[in-house]
Amino acid sequence: MPQQDTDVIRKTAATEAKAAGFDPIELEILWKRLISVVDEASAAFVRTCFSTLVRDGNDFAIVLTDAKGRSLAQSTMSLPGFIGCLPATVGHFLEAFPPDEIKPGDVFITNDPWKGSGHVHDVTTATPIFHDGRLVAFAAVVSHLPDIGGRLRSNSSREIYEEGLQIPLMKLLDGGEPNTVLIDMIRQNIRVPEQGLGDIWAQVSGCRTMGERLQGLLAVTDLEALGTEVQKRSEQAMRDAISRLPDGVYRSTVQHDGFDKPIVIECALTVSGDTIDIDYSGTSEQLPYALNVVPIYTFAYTVYALKALLCPDVPNNEGSFLPISTGAPAGSLLNPEYPAASGGRSAIGHLLPLAVFTALADVLPDKIWAAGSPNSSVTMSGSYHGERFAVVNFVNAGQGATSGRDGFSALSFPANLGNTPVEMIERLAPIKVLRRELRRESGGIGRHNGGSGICFEFEVLPDASDIMTSFLMTQMKSPTKGLKGGGDGKPGQLLLNGEAIDPTMPRVLAAGDVVRMETAGGGGFGAPGSGQDSNREQET
Amino acid sequence: MNKHLTDENLRIAVDIGGTFTDGVATLAPEGRIWVSKSPTTPDDPGRAVSEVILDLLSHASEALGIETLPVREVVHGTTLITNTLIERKGSHTALVTTEGMRDMLDIGREWRYDIYDLEIQLPRPLVPSDARLEIGGRLDARGAVLEELTEESLDAMVAGIKALGAESVAISLLHSYVNPEHEQRARAHIEKKLPGTAVSISSDLAREINEYERTSTAVANAYVQPIVAAYLEQLDARLSDIRDNVPLRVMVSSGGFSSAESGARSPILLLESGPAAGVLSALNTARQHGVDQVLAFDMGGTTAKACVSAGGTPPVAHSFECARVERFKRGSGLPILIPSIELIEIGAGGGSIAHRNRLGLLNIGPESSGSVPGPACYGKGGADPTVTDADLLLGYLNADRFLGGTMKLDKDAATGATDRLADDLGVTTIETAWGICNIVNENMASAARIHIAENGFDPRDFTMVATGGAGPVHAVDVARKLRIPRVLVPIAAGAGSCLGMLAAPARIDRSWSKPQLVADVDWSEVADQLGALQDDARQELEAAGASEVTWTIGAEMRYVGQGAELPVVIPFHEVGPSTGDALIAEFEKQYKLLYGRLVPDASPQIITWRLVGQEPSQAHHFEWGDDRTEGKVTPDERREIYLPLRGDFESVGVYDRYSLPPGTVLNGPLILEERESTIVVGVEADVTILPDLTVSIAIKEFE
Repeated sequence: MPQQDTDVIRKTAATEAKAAGFDPIELEILWKRLISVVDEASAAFVRTCFSTLVRDGNDFAIVLTDAKGRSLAQSTMSLPGFIGCLPATVGHFLEAFPPDEIKPGDVFITNDPWKGSGHVHDVTTATPIFHDGRLVAFAAVVSHLPDIGGRLRSNSSREIYEEGLQIPLMKLLDGGEPNTVLIDMIRQNIRVPEQGLGDIWAQVSGCRTMGERLQGLLAVTDLEALGTEVQKRSEQAMRDAISRLPDGVYRSTVQHDGFDKPIVIECALTVSGDTIDIDYSGTSEQLPYALNVVPIYTFAYTVYALKALLCPDVPNNEGSFLPISTGAPAGSLLNPEYPAASGGRSAIGHLLPLAVFTALADVLPDKIWAAGSPNSSVTMSGSYHGERFAVVNFVNAGQGATSGRDGFSALSFPANLGNTPVEMIERLAPIKVLRRELRRESGGIGRHNGGSGICFEFEVLPDASDIMTSFLMTQMKSPTKGLKGGGDGKPGQLLLNGEAIDPTMPRVLAAGDVVRMETAGGGGFGAPGSGQDSNREQET
Repeated sequence: MNKHLTDENLRIAVDIGGTFTDGVATLAPEGRIWVSKSPTTPDDPGRAVSEVILDLLSHASEALGIETLPVREVVHGTTLITNTLIERKGSHTALVTTEGMRDMLDIGREWRYDIYDLEIQLPRPLVPSDARLEIGGRLDARGAVLEELTEESLDAMVAGIKALGAESVAISLLHSYVNPEHEQRARAHIEKKLPGTAVSISSDLAREINEYERTSTAVANAYVQPIVAAYLEQLDARLSDIRDNVPLRVMVSSGGFSSAESGARSPILLLESGPAAGVLSALNTARQHGVDQVLAFDMGGTTAKACVSAGGTPPVAHSFECARVERFKRGSGLPILIPSIELIEIGAGGGSIAHRNRLGLLNIGPESSGSVPGPACYGKGGADPTVTDADLLLGYLNADRFLGGTMKLDKDAATGATDRLADDLGVTTIETAWGICNIVNENMASAARIHIAENGFDPRDFTMVATGGAGPVHAVDVARKLRIPRVLVPIAAGAGSCLGMLAAPARIDRSWSKPQLVADVDWSEVADQLGALQDDARQELEAAGASEVTWTIGAEMRYVGQGAELPVVIPFHEVGPSTGDALIAEFEKQYKLLYGRLVPDASPQIITWRLVGQEPSQAHHFEWGDDRTEGKVTPDERREIYLPLRGDFESVGVYDRYSLPPGTVLNGPLILEERESTIVVGVEADVTILPDLTVSIAIKEFE
């Protein structure tokens, strides 16, 4: 063994000063462990929950926060919109329940849209984590329950009272003791109580898993110091990325079908040094329909778009959000007042990334997408051969092209909601699916074409009747806009027995009815046949 | 022929890997082994197989002094299927679906496997849209015919296939997992009208609900089928040239082997045969030493894998992903519904490159230096520091005896590459080298820890069995991080897959999906179905040479409304209503173990039934065919290695592994070197050479 080699290396070691605090090796190891603790809790939750919305739709998120409710790490497969919301919910619990009164075995619960994630269908629970008798962290999870009572989710709801049971900030477990009054109330108010409560208990055990797994890490490190460091690094990465954008105010206008008249989202994005502020002044007023988007959800989808554009590879935590602020006037669609209905808020919230992309189109011409369409969905419930059924199917759409490629076809964006397999839908509901096809030629034409939407068509079986059906559909009147000379995508449409119908009102379907949902294609990018030229124009 | 040799015969296993084709011959029933290795011949893989077999025969003949040894069977494993799928070099394939479903392969599940990546790459379908045909006929979810499949429709299908000139056809129709009749008729029609065209039907391969995943499986099978069938036929012919009437078996992903004919029909079942064999080898070592709870840990040049097994049998999963666009991202590959030993990829291999990420932190992989240029220390122009470079700087590898001295490692190159990274990070070279090793070990331990916890176990009850070129280098530190107290390193770690094949039992898996409440099950129907599958499976097992077979009934169960199933297994018996009680009891036991509490008022449901027949697993004893030990227990030399607990270098003894006689007991820290690998014991430990030359390392920290 060449002895002198190691001596040389040792000498180097001696002459170099060790960095203060966490070195880049130790920090990497501890950070990865934080994320893996959350992923483990996520796996336990998904395996035990009942909602198809969670397992097929990914309609959930789990985070670990510090004792003050600041996010430290999130599950890898999370719904983007929830990531910004969850830590804020923990903050609300901390306001309602002073930290010095929180004890082991407590579990908090709410579905308040303003304090949770924007509609009553999502229930959040948070579990305090203790170490050596001290409150050090929270495990928090939010997921879409199979049912929350009230009407079936529909944009026609005018007030929150129609949308289902409201659970204010409460304790589900108090020092380990179940709150039986609350549990009985929930059981009495929802359509499938075994499944709904089953999901809530799955949340509780997922959070407990996180608490247990975190103990090993707490034994070797100071979570507060670690949390401060990872938040600092993520914040710095976001600030660095923002600094590379030229200062200025960038504007966009995005239109949604609306009801009597279109809904308008006005976005003014101000880059100032290493911060971004997004002001949605000028956006339509709040509506007596279920499309209202609470501020935290507005924030969540705005931040998501910036994160994906600016630093997608940096682990997310509180620090990533700090340099970004959003605002919308009180009483507007993006900052509605109680008792606004919000069950279909994703149709509007999912347009916020488009607003951000469009605003930054000239600044990041090679990263942004032309307009695409968020998801649509159909919910059916009723009774067949004496058994009750309830089924949801998401129908995604075409996405916008970019400067470098065609848009994605039939892909969920900005959410991440999967379809329900045809074989599963037909097992659950008395329908025959006639087609789930790409809606070819629906993408806008351009140097790169927009992606194709989907055509999902089904027929009610001859021996079925009275199927209560509600649709959430979007981009049916307002086309998905092309960019830089690219053509618009084809709007979506909803047909009942060959005739176009309004998706706002729920329908009762009868035997033999044929429903055809066609989702929009994505917008094209660049004038057709323009080759590389359009790129060069942008640069000059 | 010597009379007493009539009971003795050779069994041979050959595994084709990316770089080498490995072979092992064992003399049954004694268990003496001979190994051979030859560079893989990608243009004609069978050539290397023949060379290896001839080489093994000559070694064994020489050692035993017998000219013509009887060969009982040849067991074969290959990466041909995986490679064909990854490289998209399969046959010209057409897909036949139900009307309205031809875009299934493009649409998939509509979700993104990475929510922040705006330039996400989606897996490209194996069959392009212009090679997909739709046919009439329609079933409902219970398998009842809503619309007949007409002769006209079948004729139109045949005309379409002919026009495409497809060599192979996959047929996947809605609800065929309940009623396969339409798929079977379509296959018969093609076989009659277009003889010579290969046909794969989804209900044969994966009788499970969810059309996209089942179709993907049928398409992958069709895509590789003509190539694999031709290959196995050629191999059989080569084998006949060497010896008459030697049966050729193939290893399947579920950890058994089947006849070559069955492998040629359903090649997709062979997909993960190599890694499965590696696990069987580790489990065989564990069984030899009376160990019940095992973490099989394998680390090679490009990947590290782990398998958690309790009770002697490996866990078998029924869905799998192949040809991933991004190796570590779930959902970026093609879904394949086949039974396969549940192996998780826990990290990158020795060639993974270390770099500074945009947060200023040290990251390893996923980029790998591959074999060209390879790690910096290979001296072939690699400029980036890799895990292997770190192992060299830490003193774990011997620069002069890598691969038995056939390859010299360049320590200066490794130091230079690591120095540059250290400057970037603002830490010392050695801190960087140990950082690389430590992070890699930590990542592997984290992934394994999650996997063990997901299965409801505690790592402290486990023993690790380490294989692969880099496995024994990292095993002890990974075990320490997991608080696993003991590590076993079997002999011939480099030929582990082959030993696994020789230890594998004949095995058949059959399944069908029929989601219903346990309370609603028609038990006579289940009994009939099981009986029919058992008859069919028994024939195949006989063809694979099995004499004694044990059967188990499995059910994938959950509470109504849940999305994930728990696999439940009970012994085979006359099926009746009491079967339901047995299944529920086992389900509740598993559920409590995994999730702590049962769900009140929820109803258990069965989604998929499974029938498994296999030969009883036996402990196979293996020992070197030649005498290798020299009975020398003094170290060959001393070397400075980095000891993680001391945070510094210290001089330790370096031993030639195979010169140590059984019964030798040494104290760690130390190094044991062998040709294909190095066992690094960087902590205090009792290191014992067991009678079969397996090395046992008991970590003192956990005594």
